[in-house]
Amino acid sequence: MLINQKKAGELLRKYSIKTPKTIIFKETEFNKKIKYPVVLKVDSPKIIHKSDFGVIFLNLQNKEEVNRALKTQNTILKMNNITDYNFIVQEMVTGTELIMGMKRDETFGPVILLGIGGIFVEILKDTSMKIAPLKKKECYDMIEKLKAKKLLEGYRNTKKVNKDAIVDVLLKLSKLSIDQKHISEIDFNPVIVNEKKAIVVDARLIENGS
Amino acid sequence: MVLEQFFQPKSIAIIGASRNPNSAGQGVLKSLIKGGVFNSKTNRPFQGKIYPINPNADKILGIKCYKSVFEVKGKIELAVIVVPAKIVPYIMEECAKKKVKGVIIVSAGFSEIGEKGKELEEKVVNIAKKASIRIIGPNCLGLMRPKSSLNASFGPCMPKSGKVAFFSQSGALIDSVIDWSLESNYGFSAVVSIGNKADIGISELLLWALQDKETKAIAIYLEGLTDGRKFMKIAKQVAKKKPIVALKAGRSKTGMKAVSSHTGSLAGSYEIYKTAFNQSGVIVAENVDELFETADVLANLPPCKNNIAIITNGGGAGVLCADHCEELGINLAKLSKETVKKLDDSGKMHPAYSRRNPLDLVGDALHDRYNIAIDTLMKQKNIHGAIVIQTLQTMTQPMLDAQAVLKARKKYPKKPIITSYMGGKFTRKAVEFLESNHVPDFNVPYKAAKAMKALIKREDWLKNN
Repeated sequence: MLINQKKAGELLRKYSIKTPKTIIFKETEFNKKIKYPVVLKVDSPKIIHKSDFGVIFLNLQNKEEVNRALKTQNTILKMNNITDYNFIVQEMVTGTELIMGMKRDETFGPVILLGIGGIFVEILKDTSMKIAPLKKKECYDMIEKLKAKKLLEGYRNTKKVNKDAIVDVLLKLSKLSIDQKHISEIDFNPVIVNEKKAIVVDARLIENGS
Repeated sequence: MVLEQFFQPKSIAIIGASRNPNSAGQGVLKSLIKGGVFNSKTNRPFQGKIYPINPNADKILGIKCYKSVFEVKGKIELAVIVVPAKIVPYIMEECAKKKVKGVIIVSAGFSEIGEKGKELEEKVVNIAKKASIRIIGPNCLGLMRPKSSLNASFGPCMPKSGKVAFFSQSGALIDSVIDWSLESNYGFSAVVSIGNKADIGISELLLWALQDKETKAIAIYLEGLTDGRKFMKIAKQVAKKKPIVALKAGRSKTGMKAVSSHTGSLAGSYEIYKTAFNQSGVIVAENVDELFETADVLANLPPCKNNIAIITNGGGAGVLCADHCEELGINLAKLSKETVKKLDDSGKMHPAYSRRNPLDLVGDALHDRYNIAIDTLMKQKNIHGAIVIQTLQTMTQPMLDAQAVLKARKKYPKKPIITSYMGGKFTRKAVEFLESNHVPDFNVPYKAAKAMKALIKREDWLKNN
């Protein structure tokens, strides 16, 4: 079963895995303080691929834009008869998108996966894997094994990303997977990495016993 | 020695020895008495005591038959059980009383058929455990150890003695591999069919292979592991000393469990196996050919740093090989000025020779040109190995070229050389000479490059672990 965003957030904090500042709420009016631009998302156990639903709004510049987006969100949720949900407003991070994840394999235990970005990972399947627990050197090796690793090394006008920050998240993901045996699958998708940091923007953790 | 009762027994009982020539019960007995059912000059009769057990026969294949293990006066170290599954618990009780040390259960009808069979298997294992009897199988072909003149299986015949230990989760594959191995002059230190691995599994056999003096490399055919993490730990320990190559069946996505995350769908079972193999120093083979070719290369040659040379008497073949190397991530070394000067000064090179890597010696190269080229390139410090290609032209000297290769192998023992004698009929003798002197040869450059890649992978892994 999918762990709700709040519990997932707590678990990530426990392992010092960095996430963007996030506000979770259910009201249709937003007036909390946050640094703009932001992203508006919906968290519901009924929605697996958020982008399939059209329920992600990117790059909202101020409170008014958030509230306008919330109205649209409400309409979409009603149309699909979804009542079990929360809204999420999140600081927007820019950089290269990665996917990280874990699958608890019945033969080998937790397997850690790293791939480059968003929907491309599913089409090109450019990923590398290691069985946890990971050593630092193995994490760097996982980056090296990616066919599109050049995307991370700076090309055209993009800057070289901070590989140490990627390794740091991989190590924490490995530790979490070894400790938290009740968790069967994890997706950090996307993890956004830039020249300074790697931030887990969206985390889905799945517990045993669905 | 571990598992000595299986690999070097002094006495063997065949429980379920049969008078029916088409039965496994007679197949195993014949394999022990003659070394194999099919005639092969590799067959060797078992030198220890053989006790056929069958309550209804006095003699089978001319040797005395016993009603039960208790009728045998001497010790029985190993028993091969070939009776119907349902009476195996009863037989195991008898073996326990007789103080048998190891049993191979050939019989099928255990955990592979479902719950009922699983219960029966557990029952058998429990009886054996209490009596400290070790089990190979059930549902297996048996085992072969040419060095001990031992063929305790119903495989076709005994393979040639060699350096590769082969552990297989499929018995039928063993049958065919042995037939093939005789044609290909391929040898084995041991062949074990592990069946349902109710007791002894791959991990324990790896540890056996680690301490076995005959075994220089290990080939595994695998369908599934029960304890993946234990396998990884042991494979890692063994791979530091002896190379392991594995072929894993079940690459297709059918039968994959439903998953609910991206990671879950990206991390298929075969990919996870491959990951685990790579992490523990096990080299992955993609097919049966590659499994045995790679094991042979790793058994005969040292690991290789990633910088090699290609030496050829055919330009096209050299370029093809260079293409394969690039695809596989094999670096071709730059020839140093000194190396080129030495070649120039030798007076043996053709005026149009390539003067770079791949080193094309030109079609009319005789053995002395090969000799100087191989020696000069091997002498260059940052060239760590070579692929030597020979195409057959009117003046080509396959045997003398092979001797040049061998000379370099002896002079530079840490620098592996793989040959690709492209041809067939007229090069066969030289190829046999190369292979009998531990230089692996491949008919096509692609396979030579792939084999070189295995040596490079091994070097990489050893360096990092």
